Amino acid sequence: MGFLVTTLIFLLSGGVASLLSLLCCNRGPSTNLFHLTLVITATVCCWMMWAIVYLAQLKPLINPILSGE
Amino acid sequence: MGVFDRLPPVDHLRSEKMCFVQLIMPAESARLAVTYLGELGLLQFKDLNEDKSPFQRIFVNQVKRCTEMSRKLRFFSDQINKAGVNSSVRPVLQPDIDWEELEAKLGEHEHDLLEMNTNSEKLLQTYNELLEFKLVLSKAGGILASSHDPVAPADRELDEHIYNKEVDDGIAYLLEEGVHLGATKNSGVKFVSGIILKSKALAFERMLFRATRGNMFFNHAPAGEPVTDPISGEEVEKTVFVVFFSGDQAKSKILKICDSFGATCYPVPEEMVKQRHIFHEVSLRLSDLEVTLNAGIQHRNKALESVGSQLWRWTIMVKKEKAVYDTLNMLNFDVTKKCLVGEGWCPIFAISQIKDVLQCATLRSNSQAGIIFHEMDPIDSPPTYFRTDKFTNAFQEIVDAYGIARYEEVNPAVYSVITFPFLFAVMFGDWGHGICLLLGAFVLILREKKLSSQKLGSFMEMAFGGRYVILLMALFSIYCGLIYNEFFSVPFHIFGKSAYECREKACSDAHTAGLIKVRDPYPFGVDPSWRGSRSELPFLNSLKMKMSILMGVSQMNLGIVLSYFDAKFHGNALDIRYQFMPQMIFLNSLFGYLSLLILIKWCTGSQADLYHVMIYMFLDPAGDLGENQLFWGQKELQVSNLLNNKNNMLHYLLCLLANNYSPFPLSDTPVAYGHCSCSMDALPKAFYLEETSQGGTFL
Repeated sequence: MGFLVTTLIFLLSGGVASLLSLLCCNRGPSTNLFHLTLVITATVCCWMMWAIVYLAQLKPLINPILSGE
Repeated sequence: MGVFDRLPPVDHLRSEKMCFVQLIMPAESARLAVTYLGELGLLQFKDLNEDKSPFQRIFVNQVKRCTEMSRKLRFFSDQINKAGVNSSVRPVLQPDIDWEELEAKLGEHEHDLLEMNTNSEKLLQTYNELLEFKLVLSKAGGILASSHDPVAPADRELDEHIYNKEVDDGIAYLLEEGVHLGATKNSGVKFVSGIILKSKALAFERMLFRATRGNMFFNHAPAGEPVTDPISGEEVEKTVFVVFFSGDQAKSKILKICDSFGATCYPVPEEMVKQRHIFHEVSLRLSDLEVTLNAGIQHRNKALESVGSQLWRWTIMVKKEKAVYDTLNMLNFDVTKKCLVGEGWCPIFAISQIKDVLQCATLRSNSQAGIIFHEMDPIDSPPTYFRTDKFTNAFQEIVDAYGIARYEEVNPAVYSVITFPFLFAVMFGDWGHGICLLLGAFVLILREKKLSSQKLGSFMEMAFGGRYVILLMALFSIYCGLIYNEFFSVPFHIFGKSAYECREKACSDAHTAGLIKVRDPYPFGVDPSWRGSRSELPFLNSLKMKMSILMGVSQMNLGIVLSYFDAKFHGNALDIRYQFMPQMIFLNSLFGYLSLLILIKWCTGSQADLYHVMIYMFLDPAGDLGENQLFWGQKELQVSNLLNNKNNMLHYLLCLLANNYSPFPLSDTPVAYGHCSCSMDALPKAFYLEETSQGGTFL
């Protein structure tokens, strides 16, 4: 549940970032596409990182044992 | 796939379109034209005189002059460093210097400097000798006084009151024997006084003893403080000695031995009065010399300062001229011997700029004929050129370090702009340190204008050139730090409560059995409960290893997919069928399958041992998976994976053999062409780097 919602959030923020880059730095179609590539790559990388860490903690096989005495 | 064809071309994805051009320049405007072209930085000349040695080329004399001038400049900077002179670079208010003027000036300065150096060396030597003499006077005086029988006090007083006006030659300090007849008795006994290295004193004494057959008396006293040797200039320990002997033969022997041992003899008069007189004179001369020496050093430092303030400008000028002449050497004289013909590559968008620049050069040099510039059909394949701005430049350089793309090949720098800093951040992973890095990057970027006009040290230059790389690295590090939940290695509960809690209120078994998971997983990043626990490392290591596999496999897939698009662009169906397909199948049937297993294990929480699964997939494919089964049909999938892979590789290798087809399409472009993409910087920028090597200068 939490996974899908957060994935959607990443998707939306990626879309927002692309729109922002198109609006702010509009410098011709080739350059726009280049900026879009960068934004999409960044979104995918960030999402992948988050998803991997989230999935690894879904059903863990070990649990934290506090150190001390 | 049709949608990809309708998209506009992505900036930086492929090289700019290049065209092969020919330039015909009249001799008088050639130099100016090449200088302007160099400052524009958009034309790469082809070396038409490759087979000639450097001495057979046309402008070899000019190149020699440039090398001579740069040698003089290096000499100046050495001298400035040795003297420790700090010269401030006064920026704009300096007049432009002509080339010939500069040459003359440099020669003049060098001559002056050399002269000043020799003079001060001579003075310094004399100064050191005088110091030694003073030392010898004081110590030998002591020895002589003690070795004489006590003179009648009356005589002594008489001597002291007489101010003997006969002054021995103040100049004769060097290697003259100190023969002096004793005032009262011992008229046959003479002595020689001098100074010698402490280490040689013992051997010296023994040699003297042997030579004079024992008929000598050697007395010595250590100098006390280290003395600067006049000849070698180093500080050494010396001993003052006095040798008493009788007879002339002994004298010559002793002098020869002194010579061979490197001992310097100074004449010391026997009488106290004379000693004091000479001591006084030597002191006077020493203070004179000191004043002269200091004045000399001041003068030299002033000269060095004035040179130093202009040194950087001059160095750049000389380097520019050398580069211009190196390029002119690549051109050929045409039949009439009045024009220079050159060939080169330039990007198509730059043609109008180049034409403008050539026009300027023709006007400036008052030449009658214009420069002819036209396109030709190329023979070789063009070099690669990416039109980078200050942001993409650093990334392009990083990618070029691994290898420069062929002409019109896909440029991985487009994706590296993001993946390179991202992977750095995956390794860096601390948002506290990320913030520090971000501040550093901001400092560099906000002071861009000021820093780009200064000359920076080599480390600062690297950091400044990569300021946008550092900025992106910092941003991604902050993100990854939030995910790893590390702020200077301290976890925070930013995103809600931890998922783990004690089994019971008393938390009695927290240190033995540990906490249990009571809620949904921590919504963003690594749970803060893990930090400091005993099982932190097994968990984090496993997480990070699997993360690396997943990220690595996805990046490799990206690369292979890019090669598919590249093959499609070039219309190379062979590449698609016999390179892309086998690569995809090979990668995904093994490592893609492993990634799938990792994901399934995480989602289902199974206890399967993935090492075991992967290894036994090869060792025992038909065997039963038992408790390592992750999903239904796994065994069948594994077997089919293996068979697919085997068939695939056989297919790939057979096709290679059959078609004589190398896996990497060999380019017939020599590597030197490929390098033009990073050397096509404008001339002024290029000279903040190391001095360009001979013959390899591209404009």
